Amino acid sequence: MTLRDQIISRMEQLPQMPAPVMRIMAYLSKPDADLGELATAIEYDPGLTVNVLRMANSSFFGGAGGITTVRDALFRLGTRRVVQLVIASGVAPRTQPAVAGYKLNEGELLRHSIAVGTGAEVLARELGLRAPDYTFTAGLLCTIGKIVLGKFLEVDADQLLALSYNENIPFEEAERRLLGIDHAELGAMMLRRWELPAPIVNCVRWYLDPAAAPAEERDDALDLIHVGHVMATMAGIGQGLEGMRSTVCQECFDRLKLTQDAMIASMAQVVNALAEIEVILSRTGA
Amino acid sequence: MKNRLVVSISDMKISRRPRDMLVTHSLGSCLGLAAYDPAARVGGLIHCLLPRAVGPNVENPYMYVNVGVPLMIRKLASMGCAKEGLVFKAAGCGRMNLIQNQFDTGAQNMAMLESLFTRNGVVLAAQDVGGTIPRTLMLDVETGKVTITSQGQEWEI
Repeated sequence: MTLRDQIISRMEQLPQMPAPVMRIMAYLSKPDADLGELATAIEYDPGLTVNVLRMANSSFFGGAGGITTVRDALFRLGTRRVVQLVIASGVAPRTQPAVAGYKLNEGELLRHSIAVGTGAEVLARELGLRAPDYTFTAGLLCTIGKIVLGKFLEVDADQLLALSYNENIPFEEAERRLLGIDHAELGAMMLRRWELPAPIVNCVRWYLDPAAAPAEERDDALDLIHVGHVMATMAGIGQGLEGMRSTVCQECFDRLKLTQDAMIASMAQVVNALAEIEVILSRTGA
Repeated sequence: MKNRLVVSISDMKISRRPRDMLVTHSLGSCLGLAAYDPAARVGGLIHCLLPRAVGPNVENPYMYVNVGVPLMIRKLASMGCAKEGLVFKAAGCGRMNLIQNQFDTGAQNMAMLESLFTRNGVVLAAQDVGGTIPRTLMLDVETGKVTITSQGQEWEI
């Protein structure tokens, strides 16, 4: 059994998505989904309800406060947006523990994930683009593969870093050479297993290297998330062992017609919004 | 045992207590700047995210090199530091692989600091900037010693 196979089978032993989130996602795939029934499905889980209401009322997610019921949130923010918040609050707590292999202390992986998702959303607003509904959630999930790999990296983290420096290759390339897989591919596999929608899985799979994505798996969300990741990395948010050893895809910048001012303004907003979102997502929603 | 005062992103702290250690973590492209007056034994540490603000409204001055650094110096002066006696040491300003210059906020942060210092005749006593390593920067208020830790290594600048 290769190391790659071992890592994948380790990933397959991980628990499924939290049950209420699975139920809600399954429910949504029904063509005749009814708002009232969806509200009831969410309200069935008190933790999820609290999180959804907190997010719906936060300034970042566009709530102006005063949303007191899930039905109200669905009405004001739209069904698709609320479902994204459900997924986010179901999965985010998974990324909260320390990940020793990447030298990430408790909460750091979650903080970085939030910064990527937030950065992608903020950037879209700054550029006057309409980000696809799943942009925040996909950004939030990008680093989830690190949870599995972190267990392996405890063994040879320094070896990975040394390879990255000695060969002058990005850290994820060092992951692939030594482990046979990088955290983006592993994360995408995990989310596919959890039956998350394909556009989210594709963003996670290619977020470090959008140029490598097949044309049919690339969209605006991927470009926004890649730049979100660049901004989070440069800001040093939730920065682990690898520091800034990943590569920038200029094509994303070009496609988004990104300007220096838009990036500066977005980075400032990410840092300002981080605390509010972190408080919401770091409570136990799962 | 030192009392660690943590300076977060876009923040600044000043201390005159010898037992304090000013610390700022994970400087990516951000600029970390330590200022110390050996005579007054007062130290300041700032963690700037960006070179300058876009637009006139600056919510948090410490976020930006062009307004945050002068503000830190003014606050140090108001605590009895002689401006000309301050020792400045910079760290951070890292760069991601293949990023174009116009988006390289690390280089822009350093350029902004240099132009600020050049205009005011200030000389940087030490710097450890650029590259891809994540840096933690520490200033010992008792001694003025400035230390960087990164990826398990530690060195003084």
